[in-house]
Amino acid sequence: MITFTLNGRKVETDAPPSARLLDVIRDEYLLIGTKEGCGEGECGACSIFVNNLLQNSCLIPIGSIEGAEIVTIEGIMESDQFKILDESYSEAGGVQCGYCIPGMVMASAALLAQNPHPSEAEIREGISGNLCRCTGYNMIVDAINLAAKKGDGLWQKK
Amino acid sequence: MAEKIIAYRFDQVDQTLSQLNKEDCTIIAGGTDVMVLYKSRRGVPPKITKPIVFIDHLNELKQVYKKGKDLHIGACCTYSDLLNDPLIPTPLKNAIKTIAAPAIRNRGTLGGNICNASPAGDTLPLLYVYNAKLVLRSVSGVRIVAISDFIQGVRRVDRKSNEILAEIILPSELEEGAYAVFEKVGNRNADAIAKVGFAGYIRTNGEVIKDIRFAFGAVGPTMVRSVDIEKKLIGKTIPLAGADIAQVLSAFDKIIKPIDDQRSTARYRKTVALNLLRYFLSRKQYQHN
Ligand SMILES: Cc1cc2nc3c(=O)[nH]c(=O)nc-3n(C[C@H](O)[C@H](O)[C@H](O)COP(=O)(O)OP(=O)(O)OC[C@H]3O[C@@H](n4cnc5c(N)ncnc54)[C@H](O)[C@@H]3O)c2cc1C
Ligand code: FES
Ligand code: FES
Repeated sequence: MITFTLNGRKVETDAPPSARLLDVIRDEYLLIGTKEGCGEGECGACSIFVNNLLQNSCLIPIGSIEGAEIVTIEGIMESDQFKILDESYSEAGGVQCGYCIPGMVMASAALLAQNPHPSEAEIREGISGNLCRCTGYNMIVDAINLAAKKGDGLWQKK
Repeated sequence: MAEKIIAYRFDQVDQTLSQLNKEDCTIIAGGTDVMVLYKSRRGVPPKITKPIVFIDHLNELKQVYKKGKDLHIGACCTYSDLLNDPLIPTPLKNAIKTIAAPAIRNRGTLGGNICNASPAGDTLPLLYVYNAKLVLRSVSGVRIVAISDFIQGVRRVDRKSNEILAEIILPSELEEGAYAVFEKVGNRNADAIAKVGFAGYIRTNGEVIKDIRFAFGAVGPTMVRSVDIEKKLIGKTIPLAGADIAQVLSAFDKIIKPIDDQRSTARYRKTVALNLLRYFLSRKQYQHN
């Protein structure tokens, strides 16, 4: 049995220890906001937080996260930070097909929590592990810029 | 139903070592190499046949501290841990910044990069020129080996099945007047596996070269370094004469034997490798770091 915290709730799973956290959160807990793109750490669609750090859930064996705090996109949706990101992504036209967006939003939130006033280069570095096949990234960079401005003062409290 | 997958996650290094002494296991630190290696279909747990031993949570393997002139780095420090640590030398931080993207750097470890022994491992050229030593621990105690002896081939290392890599020691990090640099040529910034990696190290006294070292990554099965070639430059003055530079380049031209693969061609790799070396040798001065 592996015990961990998922979006603030204590949970237990008897998935085999090598099972990917990605599969466990999607198939067992039906949190399907977290997506699978490549399954190899390259695309960031599966991004989640482990103890507040951005990680790729497709690379995490469930047996390694005993006691950890896992937060998925569903876990941040009620936050003020999420509301600002949501608005900013819509306003900047940063969402097309949407497949990459949960991962992008997690990466954006991680970046802004660490660096509330990022430069454009820092924004691009912050989302460098997230692939988007639709937008060409510029609108996503705009969205994060906008979110930094709109949420001024909000990012560092977590 | 698949066979049962066994895994251990002990609270202490000692318990981990006893287990490794009982049976041959697959060690997982960050898992960023292991999970890709054993990747299976979605929904199907990676089929890792040996019992798994998780080690990334062990604090004992995450310490960074100085002991005399030596810098000790715990094998399970993640790249992000190292970027945030004031004791880590800037050239190593710069090399780490070229690795993948934030989410991978929050998980991948220095020990994993070494034990994975990929020819394109980005920390390796620099660790070679730092003359890094590796602390291997087992139930029988501690064994210390030079990184160049530890890495024997592509994904092949001199680790006994009951050992773990516990620490990396950078012995010369603090030598005065030393300058080190890592350069990587790849495709795109994030997630770009190196086509060529180069590390250079130089220690001078005034204009006189006291020590000089180079290592190339991704141009052969292991890092390419030649102490014999390096020795020829000791005692010379900077800026180096054109003839000296040409001699070193032609010596490396003979021992660098890259391959063609999907990322690049052998010819391109060799040209880039030699250009990086030429650039390093042609500098008028080296700012100490
Ligand atoms: C998308 C992506 C991008 C990447 N980009 C780069 C890059 O740009 N540059 C680069 O160099 N690498 C890159 N990598 C490779 C990888 O992230 C690094 O090699 C990383 O350092 C591996 O560390 P880990 O802790 O995740 O290793 P793991 O996967 O846990 O282990 C790797 C190997 O080392 C062994 N091992 C690990 N720790 C120990 C120990 N302490 N003692 C004994 N054995 C041990 C394991 O058994 C395994 O064989 C990338 C990987 C991915 C998925
Ligand atoms: S699915 Fe995890 S990074 Fe692509
Ligand atoms: S919006 Fe379609 S992949 Fe990013």
